Amino acid sequence: MSAPATSGRSFAVFYSILFFAFLFGPLLIMTVTAFNSSSFPRVTPWECFTTEWFSVLINNDRLMQGLVTSIFIGIGVVAISVPVGLAGALALSEINPALRSALYTVLITPVLIPGVVLGISTIVFWGNLGRSLGGGAQDLFFNGIFLTIVGQVTFISAYAMLIFSARLQRFDPTLTEAALDLGATPGQAFRRILLPFLRPAIGSAAFLTLLASFENYNTTVFTILADNTFTTALASKIRYGTDPSLSALAVIIIAVTLIGAITHEAYTRRREAILGGAAARSALYTNPLGRIVTHPATIFALLVVLAGFAVWKGSQHEAAECKMQIMDEKRANQERLLEEQRLRMQQQPQNAPQAPAQPGTPPAGTNPSPFGGAFGNVAPGASAPAPATPAPPATTNPSPFGGAFGNVAPGATPAPAAPQPPPQPPADANPSPFGGAFKNIAPAP
Amino acid sequence: MSTRDVTLDHVSIRFGQHTAVNNALLNIAGGEFFSFLGPSGCGKTTLLRCISGFIEPTEGRVLIGGKDMKRVGPNKRPTALIFQNLALFPLMSVADNIAFPLEVRGVGRKERRKRADELLDLIALPGVGDKKVYELSGGQRQRVAIARALAVEPDILLLDEPLSALDLKLRQHMRTELRAIQQRVGLTFIYITHDQGEALTMSDRVAVMNAGVIEQIDDPLTIYEKPRTPFVASFVGETNSIPGKVVSQSGFDVSLDTALGRLVGRSAGGRQFASGQDVVLFVRPEQLMLDPGGKIAATVVKEEFEGSQRHLFLEAGNAALRVSRVGGGAELMAPGLAVKLNFDPGRSSVMPAAGA
Amino acid sequence: MERIKGIFGDFVGRHGLGVAIYISASVLVWVIVLIALPQVAMLDYSFRHNLPPAQIGGPEDVYTISNYSYFLFGNGESFNALDTGVLFKTLFAAAIVTFIDILICYPIAFILAHSATGVAARMMVLGLIVPFWVNEILRAFAFRVIFGATGLVNGIGMGMGLWDTPVDFIRADVALYSSLTYSYILLMVFPIYNAVEALDRNQIEAAQDMGAPWWRVHWRIVLPVAKPGIASGATIVFMLTAGALAAPQIIGGPSNLWFTQLVYQWFNDASNWQRGAAYATILLGSCLTFVLLLMKVFRVPIGAIGR
Ligand SMILES: Nc1ncnc2c1ncn2[C@@H]1O[C@H](COP(=O)(O)OP(=O)(O)OP(=O)(O)O)[C@@H](O)[C@H]1O
Ligand SMILES: [Mg+2]
Repeated sequence: MSAPATSGRSFAVFYSILFFAFLFGPLLIMTVTAFNSSSFPRVTPWECFTTEWFSVLINNDRLMQGLVTSIFIGIGVVAISVPVGLAGALALSEINPALRSALYTVLITPVLIPGVVLGISTIVFWGNLGRSLGGGAQDLFFNGIFLTIVGQVTFISAYAMLIFSARLQRFDPTLTEAALDLGATPGQAFRRILLPFLRPAIGSAAFLTLLASFENYNTTVFTILADNTFTTALASKIRYGTDPSLSALAVIIIAVTLIGAITHEAYTRRREAILGGAAARSALYTNPLGRIVTHPATIFALLVVLAGFAVWKGSQHEAAECKMQIMDEKRANQERLLEEQRLRMQQQPQNAPQAPAQPGTPPAGTNPSPFGGAFGNVAPGASAPAPATPAPPATTNPSPFGGAFGNVAPGATPAPAAPQPPPQPPADANPSPFGGAFKNIAPAP
Repeated sequence: MSTRDVTLDHVSIRFGQHTAVNNALLNIAGGEFFSFLGPSGCGKTTLLRCISGFIEPTEGRVLIGGKDMKRVGPNKRPTALIFQNLALFPLMSVADNIAFPLEVRGVGRKERRKRADELLDLIALPGVGDKKVYELSGGQRQRVAIARALAVEPDILLLDEPLSALDLKLRQHMRTELRAIQQRVGLTFIYITHDQGEALTMSDRVAVMNAGVIEQIDDPLTIYEKPRTPFVASFVGETNSIPGKVVSQSGFDVSLDTALGRLVGRSAGGRQFASGQDVVLFVRPEQLMLDPGGKIAATVVKEEFEGSQRHLFLEAGNAALRVSRVGGGAELMAPGLAVKLNFDPGRSSVMPAAGA
Repeated sequence: MERIKGIFGDFVGRHGLGVAIYISASVLVWVIVLIALPQVAMLDYSFRHNLPPAQIGGPEDVYTISNYSYFLFGNGESFNALDTGVLFKTLFAAAIVTFIDILICYPIAFILAHSATGVAARMMVLGLIVPFWVNEILRAFAFRVIFGATGLVNGIGMGMGLWDTPVDFIRADVALYSSLTYSYILLMVFPIYNAVEALDRNQIEAAQDMGAPWWRVHWRIVLPVAKPGIASGATIVFMLTAGALAAPQIIGGPSNLWFTQLVYQWFNDASNWQRGAAYATILLGSCLTFVLLLMKVFRVPIGAIGR
């Protein structure tokens, strides 16, 4: 009996380690790349330890603009979807079982419908409505922020509903009956008994809906029209090239998440200890100093101070010298490669014109982009095989958000030099559709 | 007629096909301690919820203080219900719980607190007002629930098995406590239980329910001594049931033929029986006495000792009999011993056999 | 109507008039204005021609099935193998990703429910949630860092001399599938965990006691209990994967499109909203059909989803 039990146990441990390695590996790698001075996010080769990517991130106006829009949208979505989700949960918990499953099916479908479908149906519906109403409605219903809030509320309310439903299942309905019996009106019973019971769920629902709104891409990329949220700005930045400031962003998110999670853990433990009566017995909780140290607020403050210290320390770090050295090495390497290439071109002049036309497979040495191949799909109609011949943007149908194509329009502006000038791909010499694609990684002119 | 009277006028309550309460007809006087006693699922809670206004009767009327309560919501009735699980509000302090009825009536904070403290004194729990509900013991919660119900200043207090969650000692203590509180405040208490001990010790009158039907309403002594139906006889207390056929009847005395020979018992409720009718004779174990001159011959199967009492299990003419005697004293009887039994016909009851 | 009135009356009786109005109004607006009407509008739109605004509502604005026939036959008479191929590839790949997620997540859900205790269990839950809080875009980005031409895998592989020219994992869609598998792990683990947790540990022990090997214990005892959880998780993961847009855009192979990208292109690059709506309808229809079919096969009710 004990032999299989222990072998099961060690399998569990082994599997868990593998699983969490898979889960945390990518995050770890991203974290490491955030501190590598190489202008493309990578672990190897390691160049210099630097914190400059954090300032690059903060100085990205487009992202910061998107952040403001996202926060605005997030507040709107929370303000609507939490009460709507609560109403849905209440309705579900109180109608008769036959209708309940039908209503549940209807309310849960927005979670299952692909985000792009929700986005499209939202802009189509409100666009039609706006056109037929005319006047002020037209302006509102073609407003990206309004449409995004509406589109997101459609499915994010269902998340809130699930949270409330879970909590409601643990509600003892005799409490409401007791309140009524003691003379409360139904409204009073709702406010004094049911709402306070749901309060923790309101908190978590608000938090989760905010997160979901902030994260959302699939619906938002359609409904936001010409505007940008943080996530859509991020996506277009990544699609058209990238630098480790994105890793820096990931580091910030992970740090904030961990601080939040640890504080929450401290809070639940303390609560459990107090509720379970263990607090009265445990030396840690009876000792006044121990009480302060284990208080979630103390732990939170401690972690914030720690993070602040890390930021300060990082901002003191100077990577310039190391980078100079790497730069010199690179330049030497590059000159050598150019020399070799010149020699080769002299030998085979007929190959020369083809080389720059294939940015997808450059010689690994000259183009340090690790994503060479990934650029193929961003160019409308170029190498993408599908919709046979998509019409050029904004010709037949002057859509209300023609401007949204600004970030995909081919060749809008020639790429200016990147901050750490990597050996330029042959984009300058050959104004290919990819030229404009690099626009986003360059600092704003 | 006082405002504290409750009348159930032919009340029936149905859930779909299922009849939870069938044609209940009774009148509870103001200031009475009235109990409903019955097995689990017999419809006690349903009846109580109907009196407090959570369920409308399918048929019949509920009258409180002579007024028809049709379409009067639970928050408008002069009743206060103490729930089976107490339903104290877990997120409020003890004082806030007790003062909740005053709060919803718009009484000011100071006044509420004063009243809560008075009620805490009444239930002998002074000074716990600022505690949370989960910091109280089971018996204390019990009393807080009563205090909260009293804060409504109801005319009628309804209690749904309030002691079932407590341990035996505390339950016995709370019985006296409840009865004392009731006498202090003088309200009508309607009490529900499946525990006959509770019903018999506290109540002025008891209604015994079975499968939605009220089978008998009487004071505790009568319920025990003079059960009117086979169900009441066997549900309340232990009993020996001896089936037989009526031979003759004179007044209350019925003589019948049984497997133990010809016996005489008292007709329950003064019924008249036809001779030859199938009946059952009920005799309590403590009414059966060992008597060398007795008519019933039996053999000892075993005797069990249980402190203040001892139980003798006997076999007589294929039937099992049971005799209870005072605990201490003589040696336990050996199995196989032949004995003779007797009983006072006045302390037995003869009823029609079930299904007859 | 009578029925709605009855339900409304119940709400009033239970919570008062104000709350009853709030509940009914919110749910009705949600169901009708936010969920139902937009889908209807999209369906209607997908049957229309792509006209300049001046002609909308004019004599030319008539219903057509050209947008759907384009999906099947392209512009010419021949079969539109390209777009239908993309749809099938998307559904197939999403099914594969879902299946891999089930394989990966079932053991961890079981371990979480029945082996891990106390601090370990709490740390595991935390460990599951933290990666999920990192933006979806960034998760895809991480896989680009790992699988890019000069990414970690190529760096290590070439450094160890396993291969000497960078392997194009992105073109081979390895990066995309890994990223999609990674992204929705949490949504698979928790439904299975919820289902398996309800299982009484004694049942497992009783089965072991009767001499059942571990795989039979799982097959006969645990899996039946886990089934609704697996169905719920699989439905959500499948729909999210098939409907994913960000990950294919960021790390999809250049010649391998995801169906959502076609929809996106019709809308944003070709400005043909009508055809985009038709493609969105096709996506929705085929995904729902696929899921409902599977639920029928495995006899799981839709009410199990999200629980
Ligand atoms: N809301 C309801 N819908 C349908 N049936 C019900 C409902 N409430 C009670 N019943 C049924 O009515 C019968 C009586 O229930 P009730 O709760 O009154 O029993 P009880 O005597 O209080 O039992 P217990 O001692 O176990 O509390 C039961 O068979 C129960 O199943
Ligand atoms: Mg009951």
